[in-house]
Parts: sequence; structure tokens; C-alpha cells
Amino acid sequence: MSSGATQIVGTSRAVGGAPRRRSPRGGEKLTPYLFLSPALLLFLTFVVAPLFGAIALSFTDWNLLGSKRFIGLDNFTRLAEDGDLHKALGNTLIFTFWSIVLHVVVGLGMALAVNRQMWRVTRYFLRTAFFFPFLVSWAAVALIWQYALDPNFGIATFYGDKVGIPGLADGWLLNKTYALPALILVDLWHTIGFAFVVFLAGLQAIPGHLYEASEVDGAGPVRRFWHVTLPMLSPTIFFIVVISFIGAFQIFEPMYIMTRGGPDGATSSVVQYLYETGFRNYEVGYAASIGLLVFVAVLAATLVQFLLRRRWVFEG
Amino acid sequence: MIAKRAGNLALSAALVALGLLMIAPILWVFVTTILPAEQRFALPPKWIPTEFDFSAFGKVFDLIPFWKMLLNSIVITGVITLGAVTTSVLAAYAFSRMEFRGRNALFILFLAGLMIPQQITIIPVFIAMRELGLVDTRASVFLPFLVNALGIFLLRQYMLSIPRELDDAARVDGAGRLTILWRIILPLARPAIVALSIFLFQVYWNDFFWPNVFLSSPDKLTLPLGLVSLQGAQGESEAVVVFAAITLIVAPLLLIFLFFQRALVDSIASSGVKG
Repeated sequence: MSSGATQIVGTSRAVGGAPRRRSPRGGEKLTPYLFLSPALLLFLTFVVAPLFGAIALSFTDWNLLGSKRFIGLDNFTRLAEDGDLHKALGNTLIFTFWSIVLHVVVGLGMALAVNRQMWRVTRYFLRTAFFFPFLVSWAAVALIWQYALDPNFGIATFYGDKVGIPGLADGWLLNKTYALPALILVDLWHTIGFAFVVFLAGLQAIPGHLYEASEVDGAGPVRRFWHVTLPMLSPTIFFIVVISFIGAFQIFEPMYIMTRGGPDGATSSVVQYLYETGFRNYEVGYAASIGLLVFVAVLAATLVQFLLRRRWVFEG
Repeated sequence: MIAKRAGNLALSAALVALGLLMIAPILWVFVTTILPAEQRFALPPKWIPTEFDFSAFGKVFDLIPFWKMLLNSIVITGVITLGAVTTSVLAAYAFSRMEFRGRNALFILFLAGLMIPQQITIIPVFIAMRELGLVDTRASVFLPFLVNALGIFLLRQYMLSIPRELDDAARVDGAGRLTILWRIILPLARPAIVALSIFLFQVYWNDFFWPNVFLSSPDKLTLPLGLVSLQGAQGESEAVVVFAAITLIVAPLLLIFLFFQRALVDSIASSGVKG
């Protein structure tokens, strides 16, 4: 709308400008901002301003009571020395690593297995069974698995113990070694359906002639997978890696509901630690600095992933 | 050929077994809820009930204001979905159809906002809401989410794919901005708007982190929070009340899913293919 630039705001008639463009009330120049204003005002109020608020808070030792005191970089030196935070960060990184690997490998495996001729009923059942847990809230998922893993009456304990999975009889969630892997698997159960349907859609979007051509060239199924499927699927894999990373790095609910970070800090996560600091101990100044740490880490990792994207994603 | 068939069949059987394994915990919760007391939590579990006892549902209604919580969830999720779709449509229309100073800068600002996690904004917003006396109200849980950067981005991309000749034709006929948006863009962008609505509804219906910080009175809670509040009120022996509450929440969801499976799965999968 280059013509809009020559109009004078606030006059009731368009002055100059292309005659083709009719401007009934002359406010054409303002119109885009009117359309944007609801989103922009809300965005400034609830995203931009709070971000700066959090940065300001992170230089104080405020605990919601009394007055705010400026303490310079003390919160950030505390970040560097806080053993509980480092434990939570370590747990979060382990959780994130396995979350990414398992979502890509298992999700792709399931999609490859389902992407073939099968009875309609079978396909319908599989899509339901694999995808449905994704629609269930974390609250319900966490409680279902807390009971399923109960050492006395849980079905996961009962059947898992029968097939020889170790540690279940004592309760996975009560054991320092098994509690974090248990939460990794519960998260996988909850969200694998999303990776599965995304991979399935990705597989179905690969043109069939690529497979036919490679077959003519004498490529077997393994070569076809490595030289056709994987390169064509690399944007989808990239998407699942990024989504899994962002979700896992901010993981909160299973730790909060199922284990409260225990036993003995074995399942604490950064966001759960932030919650305890800010909303249980009301150390909002320090909590804000933990929030900044999460923000910077997610931002940096996402940027790195996008830079690496050029290297390994095949843009067909 | 026969070997390949047999291989396919074996794979299908393995997949069905995996599927059963995946839904087993949910079925266990459903079945245990409606079993008579002496048959609950038997090992091996009873998978097919022959006798029924529905009293556990009554206990849920005794312990938590379930219908009030359902209403809270519906109102909060409904307002967020409707509000965020509306603000996204208006913003996406401006970004995809109008030229104005600062357009690219503003668009990049929204995109950058995608990177700012809730965990950082929640602290200042909590402090501000506390000063305004809004903590423990529905507004504190829906106001911040009436704008959605992802929604603006997705709808803008979709609207860019709608030919501009349609707008120009309507403009020649004397249609104004709002008329064009309402009569031309909205109907054509319907698939994207439906997908965004489903996405928003699913995310905020299940949301836990934010409401858990802001809401505390039992009659203000959303369903996920109400569910978790039962955990504290109950001893291990009363697990069945938690199971009944889970059944009340998850079983209707499963029914809806069975009916609209195709549409739901496709709209959620599409977010990945475009991404």
C-alpha cells in the first residue's frame, strides 16, 4: 500500500495517492496498526514487559515481602555455586538427551512400521493407541503412571517384574537409580504419538518415484532407507529434535506431581527448581535469574540447532 | 511372496501388541474404577469386569467441586481459544495484506517472542497480578494467553497463500478491509483456523504450570489441578477415587477422539510437515 504513505493521517480525505485505492474514511495509514493493536498490546503487556521485569528482578533479593534490594550480580554468582541447581541442570540435560534420541528413533521406527498396507481396522486401532496418550493432560498421565508403577499394586510393576525388568519390585519412583529413567519413559509414552504422526505424515509426503528409481538402480531396502528416506525426512527429523528439546528442557509436571524431585534430588529439574524457589520459598529475585538461565539456554541451543540445520538437513 | 505376507502379518501382530501395551494403563484405570471393591487392584488385574460398582464416581463429587472445575476449564480454554484466534487473525491479516512502517520489525518481534518461555514471564506477571488482586481468578489464567505468536505466524503463512486478486476484485466492488477479511479471507483460511483452534484448545485444556501457580481455591481450579488436588487428600487405599476422577476426564476425551480421529490427527500432524 505505497499510496498510503502519501496520505495525511487524521484527515477525512485521502490527499494524493493513487486514485485506484479508495479510502473511505482516510485512515488507511492507521488501519494496519488497528488490526495489530490487540495482539501487540497483549504481547507487550504479557511477554515483552515481563521479560524486562524479570531481568530487573534478577538483580534484587526480593522475596515478595519488604522492599526490593539491589544486590548486583549476587544472584548470578549464586547460580554458579548452587549445588541443588547444578543437580537439577544435570538431570534436565540427561532427560533432554534421552527425550530427543528416543522420540526420533522410536517415533520414526513406529512410523516406518505402520507406513504399509494393512487392514483399515488395524490402522485405526494403531493410530488411536499410539496417539491418544498425547491428548491426555500431564496431570492425568503423571497420576496414572504413579499408580501403575506402585510397588504394591501397580500393573507396570506386576507385568514388568514378570518379564524380568529390574528394580520394579522396590518401586522405580522410590529408587535413585530408576526414578529419572522412569520419568523419561513416562514422558516418551505421553508424547511419542506426536512424533509418530509427524513422521508418518513426513513419510507419506516422500514421492513414490524416488523409491522406484532407486529400486531400478538395484538398491535394497537398507540402502533405500539411508539414501532416500532419511535425506527426504531430514526436515521432519529436525522439527522433532527442536520440539523435543524445547519441551524436555522445560520439563516440570512429572517431577512436580510424581516425585517432587526426589528421591534425594534424583529427579529434580531446572523448571521444577525454579518453581520451588519462586513460588514455594518466594525468592522471586533468584527465581528470575534461574528463569533467565532457562531462556538463554533455550535460545542458544535453538540457534545452534538452526545453524547446524544447514549442514545436515536436505532441502529437496 | 508368501514369506513377505507372513512377515507383514507378524509385523502387524507385533504393532497391535505394542498398541495394547500403550493403552493398557488407561484401560486399567477405567476398569478398576468400575470394579467392586474386593476385585480392585487384584494381581493379576481383572481386565474384563463381570460385576460393577460405580460408587467411586460419587466420592469424586463429594471431595472436589468437579462440575465447577469442568466449568472453569471450559470457560478458561474457551476464552483463550476464541481470543487468541481473533487477535491472530487480525494481526495475520495486517502482516499478510498491508504495507506499513515497521512491518518486518514487528513481525520479527512476535517471532522472537516465541523464544521467551513462560517460566520467565510468570514471575513478573505473578507479582503484577498479586498487586492488582487478580491472583486466584480465571482472568489471571486466560489474559496472558489471548495473544499467541505461533498463531500469528501460522495464519500469516496461510493467508499469504491466498491469491491477492480476490481482495482486489472485492475492493473494486467497494468492499472495505473488514468485509474482505470476513467474506473472503476467513472462509478461505478456515482449515488453518480450525487447526489453530484445536491446537490451542488442546494445549490450554491440559495446561498445568501456569494455572498451578495462579489458582488455589478448590472452586477456582481447572480439571487438571483438581485431579492433582485429589492426590493429597487421599491415602493409597483410596487410589480408586483418583482413578474415578481420571476416568471422568479421560473417557469423554477418548470418545471424542474416536469420532474425530482423522481430523484431529491430521491437523496436529500438519504442524510438523510445515515446520
